[in-house]
Amino acid sequence: MAANRRMKRMASSQPGFIKLKSVSGDDSLGTTRRKRLNKNKKKNWNKNIDINDVDEFLEDIRHQERTTGGLLSEKTDESLFFLDVGPPKKAERRVAPVEVKMRRGKPVRPLRIDLILQHDSLVAAPKDVLSYQLPNAKKLRRIAQKAEHLAAKGIVPRRQKKLLNLRPVEKTESKAVTDANNNPERDFYDIWAPEIKSTADPWYLQQTRKSRVKRPEKLNAKPSALPAVEVIAPGGSYNPDFFSHQALLQEAHDVEVKKQKAEDKLVRQLAVNKDHLATEETIFREQVEGLVEQEDDDKDEEAGAADDGVIVGAIAQALKKTEKERRKERAEILKEQSRQADKEQTFRQQQLFQLRSIKTSIKQDEADTKVKQIQRKANQEAEKSQPRRLGKLKFQAQDLEVQLSDELAGSLRQLKPEGSVLKDRFKSMQKRNLIEPRERAKFKRRLKVKYQEKRAFREIT
Amino acid sequence: MGGTQKKKYERGSVTNYITRNKARKKLSLSLPDFRRLCILKGIYPHEPKHKKKVNKGSTAPRTFYLLKDIRFLLHEPIVGKFRDYKVFVRKLKKAYGKTEYTNVQRLKENKPTYKLDHIVKERYPSFIDALRDVDDALCMCFLFSTFARTGKCHVQTITLCRRLTVEWMNYVIASRSLRKVFISIKGIYYQAEVMGQLITWLVPYQFAHDHPTDVDYRVMATFTELYTTLLGFVNFRLYHSLNLLYPPKLDAKAESELKDENDEDYAMNSESYLEKLSALSTSLATVVATTEEEEAQLDQFPVEDEDMEKMEAREREQKEQEAQKKLLEGHKFFLNREVPREPLAFLIRCFGGEVSWDKSVCIGSTYEMTDESITHQVVDRPNVDKKYINRYYIQPQWVFDCVNAKIVLPVEDYFLGVTLPPHLSPFVEEKDGDYVPPEKLKIMALQRGEKPAQEEEEEEEEDDDEEEEEEEEEEEDEEEEEEENNLKKMEKQRSQGKNLSVKVTAGKVKVENPERLEQEEKAEEKRLAIMMMKKKEKYLYDKIMFGKKRKVREANKLTAKRKAHDDAEKSKKKTKANK
Repeated sequence: MAANRRMKRMASSQPGFIKLKSVSGDDSLGTTRRKRLNKNKKKNWNKNIDINDVDEFLEDIRHQERTTGGLLSEKTDESLFFLDVGPPKKAERRVAPVEVKMRRGKPVRPLRIDLILQHDSLVAAPKDVLSYQLPNAKKLRRIAQKAEHLAAKGIVPRRQKKLLNLRPVEKTESKAVTDANNNPERDFYDIWAPEIKSTADPWYLQQTRKSRVKRPEKLNAKPSALPAVEVIAPGGSYNPDFFSHQALLQEAHDVEVKKQKAEDKLVRQLAVNKDHLATEETIFREQVEGLVEQEDDDKDEEAGAADDGVIVGAIAQALKKTEKERRKERAEILKEQSRQADKEQTFRQQQLFQLRSIKTSIKQDEADTKVKQIQRKANQEAEKSQPRRLGKLKFQAQDLEVQLSDELAGSLRQLKPEGSVLKDRFKSMQKRNLIEPRERAKFKRRLKVKYQEKRAFREIT
Repeated sequence: MGGTQKKKYERGSVTNYITRNKARKKLSLSLPDFRRLCILKGIYPHEPKHKKKVNKGSTAPRTFYLLKDIRFLLHEPIVGKFRDYKVFVRKLKKAYGKTEYTNVQRLKENKPTYKLDHIVKERYPSFIDALRDVDDALCMCFLFSTFARTGKCHVQTITLCRRLTVEWMNYVIASRSLRKVFISIKGIYYQAEVMGQLITWLVPYQFAHDHPTDVDYRVMATFTELYTTLLGFVNFRLYHSLNLLYPPKLDAKAESELKDENDEDYAMNSESYLEKLSALSTSLATVVATTEEEEAQLDQFPVEDEDMEKMEAREREQKEQEAQKKLLEGHKFFLNREVPREPLAFLIRCFGGEVSWDKSVCIGSTYEMTDESITHQVVDRPNVDKKYINRYYIQPQWVFDCVNAKIVLPVEDYFLGVTLPPHLSPFVEEKDGDYVPPEKLKIMALQRGEKPAQEEEEEEEEDDDEEEEEEEEEEEDEEEEEEENNLKKMEKQRSQGKNLSVKVTAGKVKVENPERLEQEEKAEEKRLAIMMMKKKEKYLYDKIMFGKKRKVREANKLTAKRKAHDDAEKSKKKTKANK
């Protein structure tokens, strides 16, 4: 800039320089009196020095540059002058480089305001240097160089690696669905294929939880001897044989009768005994209880007193024994003992003659124990197929599925299924002791429900 | 004396047990989670012998577990998953409460899941173990696959169950291992023999559910969770044992045949393959192209006399089975629309028959009703409009009865509009001396290759009945001795109200019969053996014989009753006809 300005100044000092505007300040110079001023302060320099001439000159240069694109003095003659040969032909007129938009076949004239606002200076706008500058350019350049270097080696920087890892994988289905246990498209494999034995130390594997804990053999035993599927009795056929159907009906009937009996028994036991009901007389007696003195009471008291006396005497007697009595007692005990020993002795001697009967009795005992053993074993076997008591509730077999003779369908098409297989399976599991019998939890309302009539309703009624 | 005082309930059986609540706390799980864990791991409650001791003097009814079992549970990785799930639910609830739906989405995507593969492996260390327990799994899967998709359980579970059951049925068809079938009022019972194991399962009827309220669905769903995993692995193994592709693929030929139908209007594309598989009408693709099966001959070993009989019996049995497998081969069935398609298609395909149905009933029909080569049309309505001459119109029970009888029964009893013979349960096995219903006797006679005489008139029928009784008698004859035989005869005759025949007839020349002689000799030997018995043994023998006789007597009574019933029915019919 500075160089430019200097050049301009030099140009203006040259004798051939023509100013665009004539300077009017020259004649005023002579008229005004020269001021006396201190020039030793910079402040005064700016204040009082007349720089109009320089300003005008610079303004003039700017004006020239703006309008013609350079100093007129530096222009060639050809660019400044031309030979005037009448008005120029229309065809030669310069066409604006901007394509003219057409509207309804007519060219659209630009708006006047746009024309006013158009940039008409021929001086190019100064470059914004800052917009070309990069902050940290040097550092960035070094980083780029390093990255290039690493890339040549084939090393991916950590940050980029992270980004690469973050790149979303094209997922069609969510993981939860494909991994789910009940995914209908899940695939199976040969789970019972012979495994390849790992060479690692089993102790290490167990301690690091890499190998599973062995399942105890005992757990593989079934808790009941019943089969998984119990086939219904032949009477349960959709088109049963007469007798088997009757047998099944009989069975169902027996079950019902048993139930009815139990119910009846309960009702009987809960019934109020008429003898225990209060009659008028008992009510009256209860009301006057303790108000009327009875003679019986006095008698009772007397009898009680007499009894007391007797008891007291007995205690007194028991407390004291005479020496004689003691001796007598001791002798009696000894006598009894010897008698007992004698008896045993004779019994043993007599047993010698009872050998045969003893033998038979022993045999009898043994036979009995054997029978009992067999019985016990049979009971144990039967127990295995019996439902056990596993919780609060006892197992209750479901109702027998039965169709009465008139419900039986003549053909497969008209068959009406009886009972529910779901319930059958559920009960079967309870029967086999796989799950404990439970009752559906009852719904218990914690907070009271408040009923309120709506006003609209109340108004009507 | 001296020493510390023994405290009560610190040693003995108390130390072996733990109450449910304590166990739950030890595992720090909620009760439903604990229950689920126990079901999955196969740990069941235990009833102690001395409840009062175990319950520390209290007699309150409690659920007990063995302490060692619970300690074993502590090592289970799924416990951790349950806890994770609990946290997940809590977070989800919170997110919903705050209406943070992006969070909800994220949480749902990262829902903690678990697999039961290791548990299956642990509980069933070998394939045979798993196969023994597959009854339960099949019942549950068949049950769940018939559920409506109404939110009683996860739709996914239902779909998975359906897939697994279809796979199982296809396996049974491919291996031809079905043995028995029984239509009961509850559902249809099937029995198959898979790798030497008899497997029974129950299939409910379609659309027969009223959901009972006293069944814990959560418990059932947990069982199903385990059983679906188990059944999947079992299926995989079974398919590979037959060299079939798993997951099952339709045969390439069959697939191309099925393709040209417009199946879009039947099912969605994603479901259509499963539907085609579940149609059960085509065979499955194998891993390797099948070569002609060579019949595996039983190896012959030189054996001693005792084993010879067994061997022969076994061989006979096997032959019978082979025959049963090809029972319906060469027959071509067409199912009318009112007939339950799935069980019948399953049965017919299991025994080698060809089956088809109306195109609008289900996907996968292979030929149309107009096909001339159809031999049987299964119909379950009183009459049909258009009949073809060269085929039988039978009721569905015929197929079931054929399977149970192991022979192709005569079709006459099962024609349209005919009152069906009773459907007998194949699961009942009568010992000798038990009452056998006459229908079963008839079938047994057919199995032996005898042809029953047609009964038209009552008198003849009576004779027939007597014949049958005599047959029965003969069977018993073989085992019992003559004395008792006579006794029984007398009993029978008395029960029938006949007098003993006392007559003088002209003598006949006795023809010496070597067989009869031999039999007599045997009987003589037996009698001598009885005479030689010790008193005690004799007593036992008499008791057994008495029991047998009593059984026979009861059976006779029942037959008499049956006859009376039949007669009454006949007379009723006659009077009706006369009117």
